[in-house]
Amino acid sequence: MKPKDSIPPRDDEERVRHHVFDGIQEYDKRLPNWWLLTFYGAIVFAIVYWMADQHFSKETNESRVAVELQRIEAAKLNSSDANLDDATLWKMSRNPVFIADGKQVFNTNCAACHFASLRGKSESPLAIGPDLTDNEWLYGTGHPIELLHTVANGTTKGMPAWGPVLGAKKVSQAVAYVLSKHEEPAAE
Amino acid sequence: MIKPKTTQPNRDSVTTIRDDGSRLFLHPSDVKGRFTAMRRWSGWFLIAFYLALPWIPVGGHPAVFLDIADRRFHLFGLTLAFQDAWLLFFGISGLGFSLFFVTALLGRVWCGWACPQTVFLEHVYRRIERWLEGDAIARRKIDAAPWTTLKAFRRGLKQVIFFAVSAVIAHLFLAYYVSIPELWSMMSTQPGEHWSAFVFVLVFTTVLYFNFAWFREQLCLIICPYGRLQSVLIDDHTMVIGYDEKRGEPRGKAGAPDAGACVDCNRCVQVCPTGIDIRQGLQIECIGCAACVDACDTVMDKLDRPRGLVRYDSQEGLTGGKTRWLRPRTLVYAVLMLIGACVATWAATTVRPAALAVTRMVGAPYYLDHEGVRNQLLVRLVNKTDQPARFVVTVDAGNQLVHQTGINQVVEIAPLAEQVQPLILQVDREHYTGPFELKVHVVDEAHTFELERTVEFIGPHPSMMGETEEPAK
Repeated sequence: MKPKDSIPPRDDEERVRHHVFDGIQEYDKRLPNWWLLTFYGAIVFAIVYWMADQHFSKETNESRVAVELQRIEAAKLNSSDANLDDATLWKMSRNPVFIADGKQVFNTNCAACHFASLRGKSESPLAIGPDLTDNEWLYGTGHPIELLHTVANGTTKGMPAWGPVLGAKKVSQAVAYVLSKHEEPAAE
Repeated sequence: MIKPKTTQPNRDSVTTIRDDGSRLFLHPSDVKGRFTAMRRWSGWFLIAFYLALPWIPVGGHPAVFLDIADRRFHLFGLTLAFQDAWLLFFGISGLGFSLFFVTALLGRVWCGWACPQTVFLEHVYRRIERWLEGDAIARRKIDAAPWTTLKAFRRGLKQVIFFAVSAVIAHLFLAYYVSIPELWSMMSTQPGEHWSAFVFVLVFTTVLYFNFAWFREQLCLIICPYGRLQSVLIDDHTMVIGYDEKRGEPRGKAGAPDAGACVDCNRCVQVCPTGIDIRQGLQIECIGCAACVDACDTVMDKLDRPRGLVRYDSQEGLTGGKTRWLRPRTLVYAVLMLIGACVATWAATTVRPAALAVTRMVGAPYYLDHEGVRNQLLVRLVNKTDQPARFVVTVDAGNQLVHQTGINQVVEIAPLAEQVQPLILQVDREHYTGPFELKVHVVDEAHTFELERTVEFIGPHPSMMGETEEPAK
């Protein structure tokens, strides 16, 4: 680095800022105009955005949250079991496409405890899950919707909540597959 | 001779910004010489490399294809999945150390020779400008001339070509992320079918156009942080471009007595793309492009004086000393870079074509019934390849007697797909001796790789196991 005294003195010494730190001073140069443009531009944008968003907008934060919640709710309703009932599940359980999909879901996820035969403890005492082909139910009275909720939400005795793992669609397919092994009761 | 209309550079201010803050648009003069020729060739090579990569297939994929949509990253035949994103650490830190090392050794060769800003500006945009508007003097004349139809047409044509070139660069940049066939299908359909890609290319094209048509060296001088790091990365033995003050000063006419080698022809200033005078020493604005070296060598040749009044040399070399290439700084950077490279190579070899995760199912951590203790796990297997793959999953529980259900066969997974399967582990009451660790192994059918995860089998302390409280079903 050059020693300080080798830098020629400048003719515009008055444009040096007064602040001194460790003997270092700073020239008071004008910023590039394009830089100032971005700076003032950002300020103008902030004001315009603030006004448009906070003061002249028909929407409020509350209304935005409400719209967003409705959107989430709609997505949930679309993909959930909320609009399923016993009749629909029985109908699904007679549909070969649903049964085939449900069988695959069942064999991948449920057969570990209930066996691919669905017979669970009736087939082998080593099985973890109960028989799903008989008409004896541990939770509920055999209504499809109760079965669906057991699969989706799990139980305290070890049945895991499959809803979050598989999603509503696969859960309903698996339930349809189990129901396909049962007879739909005549009009109740 | 027409005096160039540039203010003489000084070290107290940026040449390209006038006192009133307005921009002084530089028109660097043409320069010929060995470094200019070498830079042109290397520049064209780099541009060709950049443009060609998405077109060259390596192992069924483009040489570089960062497939964001499918989260697969194809790099010269190596396919990485999102699960391998941690390797980015080595990519980024390796880039850092390489930059440190190269800068300590050779100064800012990156800026002058390889940076896309310089490469595209010098070898594409400035060449177009030169071809349309002539040399620096002619360009300055056009700048100063009043607006006529002809000037408007020439300037308009230049901007249109600049924008078109920017669009090509932006499209190929997008091809790195979507591949050429996908890019082509996007280009031949309505923008409405792929808004985000369309807006991205439009914005990127505009930014490139603005940058290369007008902003230019301002990016290097004011925005890029690398130039600011120059002063901490280099030392007196780093090779930079410098002026041999001992030989050059005092400046004087060719025949003048007592005059140094510099004839003050100002050629080095006229050719500088950032508008500095290299004779005032190393400055933050210098991008190491070597244009001034070629300019001065040409003049020295004409005067029958030895070349190298302005040359690649270290500060030490320029003041008569000897450049030391091996010094603590370069050695430490080199060692750190090598260590990083070794670890990165090792890390890359640990990448497997599948990913395995074993987690506990939602619910109680374990279940206790009249038969024994049960743990319920979820095994998540990801096939990272683009071929269907078959995996064999086994559980190694050492000498513990564990009944295992769930995964007891070969698992077949579609290309780039993942499968989640339950793994139910049960230990009978009479065999249960307390919690223990077990391993879940996955091998592919051809046994080319193996993955292993350790999980803990959780249960109560054996002394806490009461008698059967569950009635058998």
